[in-house]
Amino acid sequence: MDQRWRPTVNERDFIERALQSDLRVDGRRPFDFRRLKILFGREDGSAEVQLGDTRVMGYVTAQLVQPYKDRPNEGTLAIFTEFSPMADPAFEPGRPGESAIELGRVVDRGLRESRAVDMESLCVVAGKHVWSVRVDLHILDNGGNLIDAANIAVLAALSTFRRPECTVGGEDGQQVTVHDPEVRDPLPLTIHHLPIAVTFAYFGEGNIMVIDPTYKEEAVMGGRMTATINSNGDVCAIQKSGGEGVMSSVIMQCLRIASVKASDITSKIKNEVNSYTSAKALQKVKRLPASVPRKDNIPDAAMKESTDGALEMQSAKASSDVQQIIKGDEDHQNIKRNSSLTVDRTAKHKQTSKFIGGPSNWDPYSKGISLSSLRISKLPEPPSVVKDNKQEDVEPMLTECNPEAKSESRLSAGESNETQEAISPKSLRDAVKPKHKRKKKQPNKS
Amino acid sequence: MFQGPGPSPQLVLAAPLFRSSRLRIGTPDRRRRAMESRKPPSSALVDNHVVPGDAVLDLTEMTNQTIKLGAGLRQDCDTIQATGAGRLRLSKPNKYWVESSQKRYVPSVEDTVLGVVVDTKPDNFLVDIKGPNLAFLPVLAFEGGTRRNIPKFEIGTLIYARVVKANSIMNPELSCVDATGKAAEFGQLKDGYMFDTSTGLSRMLLSSPTCPVLEALGKKLSFEIAAGLNGRVWVNAPSPSNVIVVSNAIIKSESLSGIGQRSMVESLLERLS
Repeated sequence: MDQRWRPTVNERDFIERALQSDLRVDGRRPFDFRRLKILFGREDGSAEVQLGDTRVMGYVTAQLVQPYKDRPNEGTLAIFTEFSPMADPAFEPGRPGESAIELGRVVDRGLRESRAVDMESLCVVAGKHVWSVRVDLHILDNGGNLIDAANIAVLAALSTFRRPECTVGGEDGQQVTVHDPEVRDPLPLTIHHLPIAVTFAYFGEGNIMVIDPTYKEEAVMGGRMTATINSNGDVCAIQKSGGEGVMSSVIMQCLRIASVKASDITSKIKNEVNSYTSAKALQKVKRLPASVPRKDNIPDAAMKESTDGALEMQSAKASSDVQQIIKGDEDHQNIKRNSSLTVDRTAKHKQTSKFIGGPSNWDPYSKGISLSSLRISKLPEPPSVVKDNKQEDVEPMLTECNPEAKSESRLSAGESNETQEAISPKSLRDAVKPKHKRKKKQPNKS
Repeated sequence: MFQGPGPSPQLVLAAPLFRSSRLRIGTPDRRRRAMESRKPPSSALVDNHVVPGDAVLDLTEMTNQTIKLGAGLRQDCDTIQATGAGRLRLSKPNKYWVESSQKRYVPSVEDTVLGVVVDTKPDNFLVDIKGPNLAFLPVLAFEGGTRRNIPKFEIGTLIYARVVKANSIMNPELSCVDATGKAAEFGQLKDGYMFDTSTGLSRMLLSSPTCPVLEALGKKLSFEIAAGLNGRVWVNAPSPSNVIVVSNAIIKSESLSGIGQRSMVESLLERLS
């Protein structure tokens, strides 16, 4: 094609000559990766990876389908790649070319053969309904080394993807209800390990190799090999697509280097995913409660070991304290509709999280939680300010499970946080909730 | 022609002026000339950013003056309007044009460009100059070129040439001799390393006085460069590390001011030594 980029003789000679002295054109050393940046989209399961100039976006969706006949109790995972012509004028729209298919195969093999994603947990009704997870990879900008960037994008997207929770019920136990994400928290996928692809480019009859080739180096290289390794050192896949032959000792050396790089990249991915998840959880606390009751995910984030199943919000009054407290939060959100819950609530939850081994271990009477910090000691004040504070926050929870809860009148009292630090002894009057107010709360809870 | 109030400048087509091969001032695609010239008109927007539609000059307040319009400007009744986005430039006494920086190149006559040979034909070499079409370089357009000593360029050869013919319809035509028939540094560039830049950056590299990044690099390193107005730069130096330093410094200097460029080069060279 007319507009294709072609390397000049000068570039070819220069790149090889510079590599003789261990210099790469962009100033890197031969075994350095380019700068890696992982960005997440607004929805769960979408990630964009920037590896130097290369940009790849991964997007995960899931659907209930019938399983394959030979694997009736396993879900499926499929990778689709789209090489957009905006990434490189050499990409043509329409049917995927050879390099697109190769990229999809390498990424897919790394995940499937090594069983990185747990397929059996995606089964809902064996033989009838399983989750089919589909990953769409969009190449936004081709700056070289698409395979590595695409792999990281798939892993980041899968790690932040949440699939809807579904329950099996009905008369014959075959009816599947998929719950709305607003109603029940969606669940993450079970990912056992992260297989990282590391690509090597060979120059000069196979004795010089570099990691993470750029666009120009790819045009000039003699051959390429991709090794997919996880941080435990397990080789998940190797792909050598044509080009010059290399000796087996060179391949072994490449695998050793790749496993070092893989653990680097794994820790980077994990850090980014964790910070994204906790930021997202914090956001849910800060959000204004709408008229629809919202699930409070803070305990989820704070108590990382809790399972999602324990946090059902809309079920009838559960017996466990945690659930009551959470529901209390929700009611509180319904009633109060205030915005400044966040700091207090987060702080309080962070406090409670210290004492939690799991939701069933949460003990409202445990000594670590001082009454002062919960601010239940204030006398009622005229409803001056609408500004919310910890006091109101705490109240509904405590009224559920703590007989020492304050009276309802304090619910409407607005006070600043700082003034509530003072402890004053509570009387029994505080503990008794006027009956009519208790009834008023109940309809809100359901 | 629309007659505004007062004597309007009479506009006539004129032949394009000769431009120096190194320094590009503007593309004279349309020229108008008046009968007499007076004090040159001035626009408040000179050296500022303009966008298409901006009225740059008001012709009603000028009488019998010459205005030469370059790329990106056109006359619209009483005003001169910008049709491209970029900076408005004025070259005394009366040449105006809009300068913009893009990754693509629009071939225009008398530009010096770096091309890559993609094919050879009996009469021409087909050369890619980052424009919409491939350019033709006649096999005889070299100093002392005859049918007997046609140069042998393989595919991928880098050539420094100048544009002889360029319009939107035909493929542009190049030449490796200057107007007097001498080679004057045109021809194949051997060794070194080439990279792509925007057209604005290559213009800055060719500007005089020397642009700050080249000056700062030249104080410590020895190298040679050839910058083509089509957004390609070639660097050569005795050692590969110098070439790499120079090319990376130039690429990074695109959006930096003069002081920024100098300090960037200093920190780069410090890290090396």
